[in-house]
Amino acid sequence: MATSSDGALVQVVGLKKYFPITQGIVFQRKIADVKAVDGLDFSIQRGETLGLVGESGCGKSTTGRTVLQLYSPTAGQVVFQGKDLTKLHGEDLRKMRRNMQMIFQDPYASLNPRMTVGDIIGEPLEVHNIAKGKEKKERVQELLSIVGLNPYFVNRYPHEFSGGQRQRIGVARALAVNPAFIVCDEPISALDVSIQAQIINLLEELQEKFHLTYLFIAHDLSVVRHISDRIAVMYLGKIVELTDRNALYANPLHPYTKALLSAVPIPDPIIEEKRERIILVGDVPSPVNPPSGCRFHTRCPLAIDICKRVDPEFRDVGNNHWVACHVV
Amino acid sequence: MSQAMSALEPPLGWASRERSSQEQLARRIVSNLPALLGAAVIVWMVILAIFAPIIATYPYDQTNLNAVEQPPSLAHWFGTDALGRDMFSRVVWGARSAVFVIVMVTVIDLGLGLQLGAAAGYLGGWVDTLVMRVADILFAFPGLLFVFFIAATIKPGLLAWARTHGLDDLARSGYLDYAVVIIALGVIGWAGLARLVRAQVLTVKEREFVISARATGVPTWRIILRHVLPNSIAPVIVALSMGMGDIALSEGYLSFLGIGLQPPAPSWGNILADNAGQYWRTFPQMIWLVLIPGLVLASVVFAFNFLGDGLNEALNPEISP
Amino acid sequence: MATLLEVKDLKTEFRTQDGVVHAVNGVSFTVDEGETLGLVGESGCGKSVSVLSVMRLIPHPPGKITNGQVLFQGRDLLQVDDEEIRSVRGNKIAMVFQDPMTSLNPVLTIGTQIGEALELHLGMTKEQARKRSVELLKMVGIPEAEGRLDDYPHQFSGGMRQRVMIAMALSCSPQLLIADEPTTALDVTIQAQIVDIVKRLKTELGMAIIWITHDLGVIAGLADRINVMYAGFVIETAPVKEIFGNPLHPYTLGLLTSIPRLDAAMKSKLTPIEGLPPDLIEMPKGCPFYNRCTFRTDQCANENPALELGAVRHSVACWNWQDVLKKRAAYLSGRA
Repeated sequence: MATSSDGALVQVVGLKKYFPITQGIVFQRKIADVKAVDGLDFSIQRGETLGLVGESGCGKSTTGRTVLQLYSPTAGQVVFQGKDLTKLHGEDLRKMRRNMQMIFQDPYASLNPRMTVGDIIGEPLEVHNIAKGKEKKERVQELLSIVGLNPYFVNRYPHEFSGGQRQRIGVARALAVNPAFIVCDEPISALDVSIQAQIINLLEELQEKFHLTYLFIAHDLSVVRHISDRIAVMYLGKIVELTDRNALYANPLHPYTKALLSAVPIPDPIIEEKRERIILVGDVPSPVNPPSGCRFHTRCPLAIDICKRVDPEFRDVGNNHWVACHVV
Repeated sequence: MSQAMSALEPPLGWASRERSSQEQLARRIVSNLPALLGAAVIVWMVILAIFAPIIATYPYDQTNLNAVEQPPSLAHWFGTDALGRDMFSRVVWGARSAVFVIVMVTVIDLGLGLQLGAAAGYLGGWVDTLVMRVADILFAFPGLLFVFFIAATIKPGLLAWARTHGLDDLARSGYLDYAVVIIALGVIGWAGLARLVRAQVLTVKEREFVISARATGVPTWRIILRHVLPNSIAPVIVALSMGMGDIALSEGYLSFLGIGLQPPAPSWGNILADNAGQYWRTFPQMIWLVLIPGLVLASVVFAFNFLGDGLNEALNPEISP
Repeated sequence: MATLLEVKDLKTEFRTQDGVVHAVNGVSFTVDEGETLGLVGESGCGKSVSVLSVMRLIPHPPGKITNGQVLFQGRDLLQVDDEEIRSVRGNKIAMVFQDPMTSLNPVLTIGTQIGEALELHLGMTKEQARKRSVELLKMVGIPEAEGRLDDYPHQFSGGMRQRVMIAMALSCSPQLLIADEPTTALDVTIQAQIVDIVKRLKTELGMAIIWITHDLGVIAGLADRINVMYAGFVIETAPVKEIFGNPLHPYTLGLLTSIPRLDAAMKSKLTPIEGLPPDLIEMPKGCPFYNRCTFRTDQCANENPALELGAVRHSVACWNWQDVLKKRAAYLSGRA
């Protein structure tokens, strides 16, 4: 395992999620799989934020949804609060959702346009039998003020709010049931620059106040570095490097991590002038037919012969710094 | 946090411009003249249907051989037909037939179409395959011909059933004709609606707020009722409105061709058929005998289509200019 | 350097059901030959609308340019006839958009689409156009260019499509390239590839560029000068190092302190800009940034400041920029 399991709130073992590609209308035949998530091992400690970064199509969002059993995994285990979620079904799983929640990327798509803010935030309270009627309304108003919105807004509809305000509504809904664990799936990428910091600060404040554990999924390394305690870098359905954030930024080991870090622009023209970039050639290969051996070898500047044949082992190189590379 | 809060409220002027979605819908329909006209015609038809016994000046089947083929007058506003029946009264009672058939067929369409479509869309798998294949088969036949076929086949069956159960009065009454028309139109009508509902449900169930409801732990039935259906319903309402016009027209066809409602039961279709013979004989003096029921039927069909168009634009503001 | 494009007091508005949206409210700027100008701002700040106005590509109705001049090589583009503006578009001024998929015609091959402009504007034969197309695709770094000419847009990845768009934009050797968020839809490693290509082409071809973005990181390494826009106004303009090293407008300062930096000191707290941009239908009387500004005074509520010189080649639209200058250090502390 990528970390010791003591104190781990979430423990993911060998997690895989394949989406079948089918052909035919009456008789559907499976012709291939999209290997969106292909064997992940990681754990998240109580109260920490694990950042999950990667480019589009690397499987980071699928990972988040599979961990929460919104997609049923193809293989693997997700142990949460001592229970294997993959073994839970129906009502048992539904009740478990009280302890784990999600914040979505698109604040325009993730709120039901035909429900009022009060109904949206109140729904989790109702379906988990936490509060009803007047009590529910009071709790909703409390939640609104916790996320920095006017409690007077309960009867408004989502379209009356800006993107940042909607995201606050999404946060309030996730918070309503007092969860232990929240998956934040790119919660700020759809927001304007000046609004992003508002939401980041809010998430940080709430974590401190309610002792939350986050899986923070993002493509923006600057944001992930800011908010995370440890960071996992994904490439084509696998984690290639996992370590605490200082080590990742000070001493990246995997060539993909290095390229990713060097590609992130820094808002300072003087630094930008002097920076050396590692420009990767080509595009990310298709997850339907990933390259043999190490999946990164087609773009890797350091690839050697063995990389084409053997998939490198994900191993600890010391100080809980995990990496999957032959060259390191 | 409270310090930040005041800054987070929408800027001044924002709230005053925001209207509730119902208000916006109403505003968009009112600003659409054809839709408003359509709605007015439909309201009128319903009023006529409900208050037919009060509004009609004569019983719809009362013949008067002393006053046949009279032109419109104060006593007979729409004139009389070859048997001296008051045309105004027959047209008014015809509205009741039309509304009854429209409502019943729509109830069948909704009952079957909404449920089967929603089930096919949300559950998928074999339910989806079965429902959609049956719908495909219904679609494979030319619609009107199929309705004729059903109407013609089920009528003898229904009559025989009534007689064997000692319901001779029912068999003679003409009420069974309503059943024939309603079943024939209902059997094929649901398929289109089911397809539409399924397609809507398929798109809506992938929308992020549905996934977010699942993540929150909302039970499946509640997701369908509160999240999926309310967001799928707009095109269904439009299709229903347009469909009602089609039902009125189809009932007219069937009755005109003698497979639907039989005289003396009043239907705009059979009034047209009855009078068409006279019309050719006496053209052009008796033109009102065909013109009036024809115009009434046409205006109702147009009314539903205008309303449907108006609803379509009002419910999908992005398509309107 | 000679001035290539001069925009004077440009105003563009959109008439909607809810009222008139004041998208661009009197914007003036210049682009010199060979210069790269960054237009920076958030959605709705008018950065895209102002360059679409320059190209006369504002859909009318609902949009309308109500005031201003756009002098390109001395001619006012807002006054010339439709034929003349068409001969400028794609020829002397070219554009690259955010989403390459919607800007390419899915049923035509890449070769046909690049060739079209060459045949139309430069009167090339099919043979010549094909040869030139291959050169252009090579220039933007598309491997096996000859073979890919007969491919359709869907056969290219997002990054490759954006390269094709750039190749098309460069086909007539424009004097000005307008790039509207060209890397926003792309991944960071692909973005680095595109930025690299544009930097190289800029020195090779010597064209001027207007690069529109909300990403201060991308623009820092690319632009010579930056216009920061807010609510349809240019609120600060300066050479790139001035903007980042000596921000004078509270909004610019706020943007710089609100984004996490890869090289920032650890666990620095972000300072967000609280609140929301103003309603563009009912514009505030005074400074548009007033309700979010931490430096505001009573004057700001009533009078909208015009751009004034704050340093060499550095203009700012703020009544209290000297106050910003004094207190700025506290905001910037905790950063690298």
